[in-house]
Parts: sequence; C-alpha cells; structure tokens
Amino acid sequence: EDAAEESNISAELIAQRQRLVDEWNAWRRRCKDELEEERKKRGKKVEPKPKEPEEEEKEEIE
Amino acid sequence: MRPILLQGHERSLTQIKFNREGDLLFSCSKDHVINVWFSHNGERLGTYDGHNGTVWTIDVDFITHPPLSCIPAVSHTIRSPNVITNPLDSGSAESRFLVSGSADNTMRLWSVQTGKCLYRWEFPTAVKRVAFSEDDQQVVCVTEQRDGTNQSKEPESFFNPTGSKAVVCAFATPNLILTGHESGKVALFDAKTGDEVLNNERAHMDVVTDLQLSPDRTYFITSSKDKTARLHDTKTLQVLKTYQTETPLNSAAIAPGKPYVLLGGGQDAMSVTTTSLRQGKFETRFWHKIFEEEVGRVKGHFGPVNTIAVSPKGDCYASGGEDGFVRVHHFDESYFRAKPYGDLEVEE
Repeated sequence: EDAAEESNISAELIAQRQRLVDEWNAWRRRCKDELEEERKKRGKKVEPKPKEPEEEEKEEIE
Repeated sequence: MRPILLQGHERSLTQIKFNREGDLLFSCSKDHVINVWFSHNGERLGTYDGHNGTVWTIDVDFITHPPLSCIPAVSHTIRSPNVITNPLDSGSAESRFLVSGSADNTMRLWSVQTGKCLYRWEFPTAVKRVAFSEDDQQVVCVTEQRDGTNQSKEPESFFNPTGSKAVVCAFATPNLILTGHESGKVALFDAKTGDEVLNNERAHMDVVTDLQLSPDRTYFITSSKDKTARLHDTKTLQVLKTYQTETPLNSAAIAPGKPYVLLGGGQDAMSVTTTSLRQGKFETRFWHKIFEEEVGRVKGHFGPVNTIAVSPKGDCYASGGEDGFVRVHHFDESYFRAKPYGDLEVEE
C-alpha cells in the first residue's frame, strides 16, 4: 500500500530488481520441474483436488 | 483493510490456521480452548473443548471431501520426532480433521464438523507443535524435551535428535520432516529412521519461533528471536532471503498470490518508550519476498503478535496476539492492484 516513489528510482536499481526477480523465477521453475519429476517417479500425481461446493455442511459445528 | 476483531479467547493466542478454502479460521490459546471462526465475518462457529492446559498448536487437514481412507494413519512426534499409528478405523471418515497439541501432555484429533475429540495420544511432556503431511495421512509433533522414557502409543518412528531441541516442525515430503530448533538450527529428518539427513546449524542465531511452508513445500519461511525471518530452500536448507527487522519475531507467513511475506513479533526497543501499550501499536509487517525490503505495516494488537496466518487463497490474513485477540484483515482492492515495484512478474 505504501506509495512507490517510482519517478526517482534509478535505472540501476530497476536493473538490480529485475535481476533478482529473474533469478527467483528461474529457481522457481527449476523447483516446479523437479517436483513434477519426483511426483511422476513416485507414481502418484498429487494434483490439487477439484473444489466441490460444500459450504453448508460446515455450519453444523456447534 | 478493515480488520474483524475475533473476541473469544481469554488469554494469549498461540497459533492460528486457515483451512484450505480459507473460509474457516482455527485458533488456539493459553486459555485451553480451540475456536473455529468464519473468516468472512468473524462469527464463532464452535469450540473444541477438552484440553486441560495451554493449547500450543493446531493444524487442520487439507481434505474437503475425504475419501474413506483419508484418516491420518500415522503420526510422528519429535521430541524428538516420533511417529504413531492412528488406531481409528479408517471406515468412519466423513469429516475433516483437526489436530492439536497441549501443555496437558496430549495430542488430540478432532472432528472439525462435530467438535468431538476422536482420539487422544498421551505423551510424557507437553506437545508444542503439530503438523499434517501433505496427504493428511500422517501427523508429526514436537514434544517438550524432558528426561524419562517415552511411552507414547506406538510411535511408528520416534527420534530424539542430539543437540539443540526441536521447537517447530512440518513435513517437507511424506518421508522427510523439517524442524526448527532452539539453537537456530533447521534440519531435515528421515521420517522412518529418524536420521538427520541435512541441517543448517546457522540458519538463525537464536530460537526458531515459526516455520511455514510454501504451498508446494519447496521453500519455507522461519522467524526467530534473532530479529530476522528467513526464506529457505527445502531441498538444500540454504537461506534464500533474509528479512532483517529490529524486533524479536514470533511468526512469519508467506502470502500466496503476491510477492510478500508477513512478519510479526514484539516491539522494537526504540519505540517502547514512545508508544503507549493502549494504542495497539504492535504491528504485522509486510516485506517484499524477493527484494527483502519492508513494504508496509498494519497496526492493531495491544501486545506482541504471536502468530500470523495467510488464507491459502491470499485474500485475507489473520494475526493472533498476546492480547488475546485475533484480527482478520481482508485485503481490499488496492492491495491487489498495488505494484510498488512496477510490472515485475514474480513466480509463485
């Protein structure tokens, strides 16, 4: 929420941030690939289960 | 971000947890009680009554509609880590599960829907931390370290790591348990053999106070009394990022959908003299996950922030304080719109 002082950010800082984000994104992609690989190997694909509508039942708790 | 104040605990909060849908928030406290609330309006749905001591920790499973076999079958305790077989008949499942650990030396399994305690495990010491595995088939818990024999109900595995005691834990994978220690160490243990597989002795310089995994469990955040929170690679235990604050931290959470982490703790020494406790100055701090810079603070509690949780959908977060209150903040539109660093696409 804090306002960014975008106007006076130096080009250098922007480049530095871009580099950090690129680094992070590359690592994340590597992680995801490895995870996929391992899950295949284990033979059980863990996918997020489809969300079924089930709001009502929860209200029974008392 | 107007907060909803959840009033119902009489003593300080120890841990809060959202369910996967983010519509329910579970809270536990030193007042012996576990509560469940609707996160959208703060209405209390119910209470899980039975513990006779501080409830230190809770976790709720991830399964909305459990198949019949989805009762957690095994549990691990770390007191040392150890593992127990759940004697519950796997045919009786139709609800989701809550697990809790308490100073009354029990870990309990509850039906989320009925509020009934389904099972209790007895330990020689307090249960300080509990966590489900990703598939909800296993539970790991950390019990307080004390001399004497361990007589827990059939731990499937039980390990007593030498060196600094474990204080927080979670499953990294179904076979690997991740721990945070009093010394500041983080480590990975083999869930079956109890062998320490990997550690980073110098992850923190003081007690690790919280440990929360990313949704895919490939990285995690820890908070520490050493005034830092850190992001670690689960596989290598290498520190990826450090968030250096000026106050001892009690909790750290990863925000889904936005490149932020949320940190909470005490108050920095400098503000103690200038701030009145009554004003509710204890803050949740938002830090940029990648750039390690603080981006904002949310005030509110009248005492240290003990525990923070972000809804898995990333639409709200909650903090639990030493003051006995839980505050739920729903992010408003400006939070989602804000791009304080411009158009950088950060992968989850």
